[in-house]
Amino acid sequence: MRLWSSLLLCTLSLPIWLGAQMKPVKFERFKLANGLTVILHEDHSTPIVVTSVLYHVGSKNENTARTGFAHFFEHLLFEGSANVARGEFDKYLSGAGAVNNAYTMQDHTYYYEVLPSNQLPLAIWLESERMLHAKVENKGIETQRQVVKEERRQRVENQPYGRIAEEIMKRAYTVHPYSWTPIGSMAHLDAAQESDYVNFYKDFYVPDNAVLVIAGDINPIETRKLVEKYFSTIPKSKKPIFRPTVNEPIRTKEIRDTVFDKVQLPALIVAYPTPARTDKDFYALEMLNKLLSGGQSSRIYKKMVDEKQFAVAAGSFAFQLEHPGINVVFNICNLGVDLKDVEATLDAEIDNVRNNLVPEKEFQKLRNQIEVDMVNKNSELEGIAENLATYETYFGGVEAINTQLDQYLKVTREDIQRVAKKYLDKNQRIVLYWVSQRGE
Amino acid sequence: MKQHKFLFTLLLALGFLSAAQAQEEFRKKAPAALPAPVIKLGNYVQQNLPNGLKVIVVENHKLPQVSFQVFIDKPISLEKDLAGVGDITGTLMRSGTKTKNKAQLDEEIDFIGATLFTSSDGMFASSLTKHKDKVLSMMADVLFNPAFNKDEFDKIKKQTLSGLAGDKDDPNSIASKVADVINYGAAHPYGELTNEASVNKITVTDCESYYKTYFKPNITYLVVVGDITPAQAFADAAKYFGKWVKGTVAKQTFAVPSAPEKTRVAFVNRDGAVQSVIRITYPLSLKPNDADAIKAAVMNNLLGADGNSRLYQNLREDKGYTYGIYSGLQTDMEIGEFNAGGSVRNAVTDSSIVEMLKEIRKMANETPTQAEVDRTKAIMAGAYARRLENPQNIANYALNIARYGLPKDYYGTYLAKLAAVTPADLQAVAKKYLKPENANIVVVGSKDDVSEKLKAFGQVLYFDANGNPEKAAVAVSADVTPESIIEKFIAAEGGRAKLSAVKDMETQMVAEIQGISIEIAIKKKAPNKFMQTVTAMGSVMSLQAYNGSKGKIEQQGQNVPVGEKELAKLALEGPIFPELDYTKAGYKLSLKGEEAVNGAAAYKVVVEDPTGDKTTNFYDKTSSLLLKSIKVIEAGGQTITQVSEYKDYKEVNGIQLPHTVLSSGATPFPLELKAKKVAINAGIDDSAFKVE
Repeated sequence: MRLWSSLLLCTLSLPIWLGAQMKPVKFERFKLANGLTVILHEDHSTPIVVTSVLYHVGSKNENTARTGFAHFFEHLLFEGSANVARGEFDKYLSGAGAVNNAYTMQDHTYYYEVLPSNQLPLAIWLESERMLHAKVENKGIETQRQVVKEERRQRVENQPYGRIAEEIMKRAYTVHPYSWTPIGSMAHLDAAQESDYVNFYKDFYVPDNAVLVIAGDINPIETRKLVEKYFSTIPKSKKPIFRPTVNEPIRTKEIRDTVFDKVQLPALIVAYPTPARTDKDFYALEMLNKLLSGGQSSRIYKKMVDEKQFAVAAGSFAFQLEHPGINVVFNICNLGVDLKDVEATLDAEIDNVRNNLVPEKEFQKLRNQIEVDMVNKNSELEGIAENLATYETYFGGVEAINTQLDQYLKVTREDIQRVAKKYLDKNQRIVLYWVSQRGE
Repeated sequence: MKQHKFLFTLLLALGFLSAAQAQEEFRKKAPAALPAPVIKLGNYVQQNLPNGLKVIVVENHKLPQVSFQVFIDKPISLEKDLAGVGDITGTLMRSGTKTKNKAQLDEEIDFIGATLFTSSDGMFASSLTKHKDKVLSMMADVLFNPAFNKDEFDKIKKQTLSGLAGDKDDPNSIASKVADVINYGAAHPYGELTNEASVNKITVTDCESYYKTYFKPNITYLVVVGDITPAQAFADAAKYFGKWVKGTVAKQTFAVPSAPEKTRVAFVNRDGAVQSVIRITYPLSLKPNDADAIKAAVMNNLLGADGNSRLYQNLREDKGYTYGIYSGLQTDMEIGEFNAGGSVRNAVTDSSIVEMLKEIRKMANETPTQAEVDRTKAIMAGAYARRLENPQNIANYALNIARYGLPKDYYGTYLAKLAAVTPADLQAVAKKYLKPENANIVVVGSKDDVSEKLKAFGQVLYFDANGNPEKAAVAVSADVTPESIIEKFIAAEGGRAKLSAVKDMETQMVAEIQGISIEIAIKKKAPNKFMQTVTAMGSVMSLQAYNGSKGKIEQQGQNVPVGEKELAKLALEGPIFPELDYTKAGYKLSLKGEEAVNGAAAYKVVVEDPTGDKTTNFYDKTSSLLLKSIKVIEAGGQTITQVSEYKDYKEVNGIQLPHTVLSSGATPFPLELKAKKVAINAGIDDSAFKVE
């Protein structure tokens, strides 16, 4: 529960796209006077409803002396409110047969509940409590501090390759807050003061910094009435919301390092820069990632796993970030493989895509694969709710959920080569040799 | 007023106080639910082909997609010295057919964006509806014409071996393996582990024979889900799988494993682990079609299935021991399993087990409250409703009904059966199925930090990361004392006489790291002069010296003040072979039993120097030489564990000295130090030990 969203897992999938043969996602959007954006999606096929709130605050809004705070805060916001005693938040939901969870990323924090549809008022009430007057006891702060430390141990330190995101990000960014990951520093959490909690809540947990989505077996008219009742009197922010504007300078020299870890199998990790997830180049870059590692016939998988037999696993993906981000190519190698050979082979593949157009048939394959991804991403309400919230937040409006198709259809073979040349650049990359700590 | 102030110090109100004070009345209470919706279970249809293939169809047109699963309900069997043959066969099936090599097959699957994977018990494929026939013909080709290509086989073998090596790093994987071994034993198929030896022994012929034995339609289900009518699905099944020839598959019986007589601990050491993975587990005799199955599931939900359960509430929300802790109760037609566990930090490993056992016992000793049981049932009813969103789950229900001989309305009446479960039922099934006194407690963690305290829970058995039993800390025979071990070490080095005759010694050791060479030079002169320098890229990183009375420490060219404590430590470095005079110099020795170092049996001796610092040394039982030492150093508020392994002993002037030292912990990266120069009695001038 309460995931600090593993970047590796969360970014392996593509954004939603509605193929030509698919129906557009229907939605209704309105804004309350206090700035809260509300999106409703009606679907009666199963008697369940998903309620979610996306707050546009993540680790990039943190100050450098309180890294990890956004995620820690997410844990604390399950502790209670003026009307919900400590521990009761989850009890209300479980008693109604609901599941709930949350995660924190660099750019946002996301809370959601999945309930039998007749329990919708409960979820609306609880999310309004969280937004209006959350409350945390000292006991809760101390306990969650320990829990977050255990989370870090379990998911980062005690986990083979668990530090990949951290090791990449701290090298990739020198001035931008993406240089730390959402789990942050445990020392910073220890140093947190009462004023930190109060200010973070006042600054970021405000209706004008949030998107509320309600999706599923709902009556839109009744639902809108409920939302207005519970959310319209929540006061809006008293000052502009802090959003970092710092630009990370473009790297002009390769960074190369060795990382030691408790692993048996060595890995080669290469990280390249990307534009922001909303940039038009990002679509071409996603197609490029498919070309490199989408399926067993993809170029890197075929070369590294099947032909050269260097790797047990190989892949590439882009972090989905609001500001310019990172594209990672990784190879987890067989025992006894020399990473230098792996790197040379990978370089040849990258050079190939930089220097040559993708053949027509292979290009068609990428388009076919993306069509299937779209169908899958639309298969469950939970995913639809999350996509509605993120499109509204980052893509200039929820309408973008139904125009993604055009964005992908616009990508040409030339675009793929162009973005390969522009972003898969040796001088801008970070190369990490991930090797056994035992020096074997 | 007073009351208010008290509240404010105890509670941190994050919200706008004014809003909280002036809040609307309706906010104070949870709103009532709307009228309950009707929950309808999706339908399925089943029909058998003449060759015995059982076809189950769940029709659902929400998405333009259809999936096909071939599930071979194979009887359980032992693979013995070929353990892993089923899994390798499963992977090999997907590596080419008689007419298409793997690259061609991959290309065809990826081109239409389809999924097709194979396993030891069948295969699964899905695609957009418009590509259905392409996918079915590929499935049939893979199923009936596998190539069993030798090169592909070798590749899979190599990957399997790498995977086994990788498993050794994953504490959860280690815990699962050990749990399988200790719960079921190697004589039962569930306790059998794929290992390096068995993988190396498997041949392509073994895979072909596995395929011929088990891939039979009469023990197989074809499960079709999605955008397809039952009539079309049955027609497709006949067209693509109708020619599959039936055959007899022999069934074997195995003695049913039982829970241990007394609770015991199975411990796996993982050096440097920051958490312990705990599993409290035992084989459980409960079949999915047993009348107790639903009651037991409710009981387990209350105990540990999710974040509302007692284990999580106690160990995470109250104590902050863990990020998450859960229990599972797995029913099975052969033998099921109970399992409770999570990852906890080293220091609270034993406390966590205490709390877990307490919660397990409480389930059996106390009747849960009606409110708790109602909430648990509500959670399970909600989960049931959510599962209906995915038609694949309806297919799984159909498969369960067929495999376990459940009544056809088992899932249709599930909510009614759930509603009938009472608090007394929960206590009754807890008494029957929870066995805190007959459990295996598997712990994967740092031995030095946690293992000693585990004795409180029962006999401690030791395993390696592959799930093989390790010899327990063998009781060392009474005539072996730490002093006798040191004497034998001295004899093995060359004997007291030869060691005492050494007047001076110079050692230079070199390590290469990322193209940088690091050199450690040590000079010693009897009785107690000492000088050590660490040089990287030509510049001296650190220097320590002792001239018999005064000492000097330099870090990166800067003098570090030498206090009384530092001087005492420097003085201890003076003697060339300190082991010669351990007793006289005030060292304390204690023998901690036997422990293997890289497979070699060794005595573990803790050497405490006169300043109170402890070093754990491991002396080879056969050669008597020092193999490894672990030293815990407190520096700058940090605890550093320095591990040195001594290898490659060679004779110099009649004395055995290690020529390779693997050192880790003290530097951010491990060092493999190789001896460049070892000189004995070559004459070192006193001026080499200048401390001014």
